Amino acid sequence: MPGPILQVRNLVKSFGGVTAVNGVSLSLEAGKIYGLIGPNGSGKTTLFNCITGIERRDGGAIGFKGRRIDGLKPHQVFHRGIGRTFQVIRVFPELTALENLLVVTSGDYARSRKRAEELLRFVKLERLADEYAGNLSYGQQKLVEFIRVLMSDPELILLDEPAAGVNRTLLNELLDAVRALRDRGKTVFLVEHDMKVVMGLCETVFVLDHGEKLAEGPPGVIQSDERVIEAYFGR
Amino acid sequence: MTLATELQRWGRWFLPGLAVLLVILALFPIWATGYGVRVMLQLFMWIALAQSWNLISGLTGYVSFGHVAFFGMGAYTTGILVTRGMPWPLAALAGGAMAVVLAFVIGWPCLRLKGPYFAIAMLGLNEVLRVAASYFEGLTGGGLGLSLPTLDASVRIYYAMGLVALAVTGLTHAIVTSRFGLRLMTIREDEVAAEAMGIDTFRYKIYAFLLSAVAPGIVGGLAARDMGYIEPISVFPLLTTITMIVMVLFGGKGTIWGPVLGAVILFTFQELVWAHFPHAHQVLLGAIIITVVLAMPRGILGVLQQKYNLPRTV
Repeated sequence: MPGPILQVRNLVKSFGGVTAVNGVSLSLEAGKIYGLIGPNGSGKTTLFNCITGIERRDGGAIGFKGRRIDGLKPHQVFHRGIGRTFQVIRVFPELTALENLLVVTSGDYARSRKRAEELLRFVKLERLADEYAGNLSYGQQKLVEFIRVLMSDPELILLDEPAAGVNRTLLNELLDAVRALRDRGKTVFLVEHDMKVVMGLCETVFVLDHGEKLAEGPPGVIQSDERVIEAYFGR
Repeated sequence: MTLATELQRWGRWFLPGLAVLLVILALFPIWATGYGVRVMLQLFMWIALAQSWNLISGLTGYVSFGHVAFFGMGAYTTGILVTRGMPWPLAALAGGAMAVVLAFVIGWPCLRLKGPYFAIAMLGLNEVLRVAASYFEGLTGGGLGLSLPTLDASVRIYYAMGLVALAVTGLTHAIVTSRFGLRLMTIREDEVAAEAMGIDTFRYKIYAFLLSAVAPGIVGGLAARDMGYIEPISVFPLLTTITMIVMVLFGGKGTIWGPVLGAVILFTFQELVWAHFPHAHQVLLGAIIITVVLAMPRGILGVLQQKYNLPRTV
């Protein structure tokens, strides 16, 4: 029985006097889709930033595949096998769509080029391969950012609001892609405000409120949890 | 898209044209006057300097406001070694090596700083070196300067400068068309995302910075030999850094031929205007900076590339 793929224990992160994440613990098993929800400012993105090394934690520990990853630089975390997308799109605008993918992997150039072209076909962007990413539409940039993560075939994929601003057709393709990843044994952890997406996709949902973990469980249970409803809508 | 097809048509003539141009430049000293050779070797120097600045600042977006520090370092290294009897070509190479050492010493702490702070730190470095060159009189001759043994090597320096300019341009071509170059550009585009995509941005910045210091060091040494006399204010002028920057911004930062184009246009203009209106030179530079920043921040080639979606090799 393998242990959890990601384990966060008593994570604390504050900015000045504001404690963004306050003693959060959670663990993810490999091959499942997890959701992270909570009101604005509840610490979701900060948690992602701590896991990926973009923010340095103030306390607690983060383990990935049984090894500590807190204290590593973002690029080191990435090479351990954690990829991510961002809430605000962060493609490289003056690189072409293809180049955005090529920068990610090392090793044989021809092979990564082939993989990049496959991924572009996968999201039906092959005709825009040589277009500057900054010239693409919002939804197309979102897709480029999504497949950019897949270039290196990471074990754990963190998606920060993958559904935001994506139209329905595109969204369904995106969700299918996420499920396909899960079926290949990858672990997906996503922040999402669209409850339909969270409920339809995730096996376990974590709820954050004011930097603390409020609840954890299957989506159906979370949806009817009074504390969660209170956190969102007030008493 | 007529311009794009037009450019494609010219594209076939590019390599043959370049070859012919290189042959002409190689034969140029045979019939040229001494003045002509001196002008051309300065143009080569500017191409090498602009191209080098482009390597760090055009590609990674880390603006070096003190790049002339490497030029000065090369000039003093060469000057000191030549006065102690070393042949000048070897001394100029040593100048390049010392510039790289300096780049490492200053880059290691400073490339951890984000953009604007790095720019200020580099500006400071140049001032510190200029003062240091005045202070250590025993080695550098201090404010009185350093005279090199008399020697007329203009033609040989012409070829040396030309080789350096050609080499840096070739290096830029190799970098821009490689994954290494694309990764340098991701730092300019979005450093946080680059890190999150597994790129060790600090290491890449160091590499780019070291590469960008080589040619200014060598060229500084060659210029010292050519001038025959160096002093702190003549080899550490802020104006030289600014000129490099303007050449690159004007031609197109982050492109292969932009810095060459910028250097050729600006240097030609400078030679024409300089002789008649010495003070107009700085006014002109200022005007160009303002125009480029406001009207076409990508520079000539950058605008063309973006507008017609041309490959990076154009």
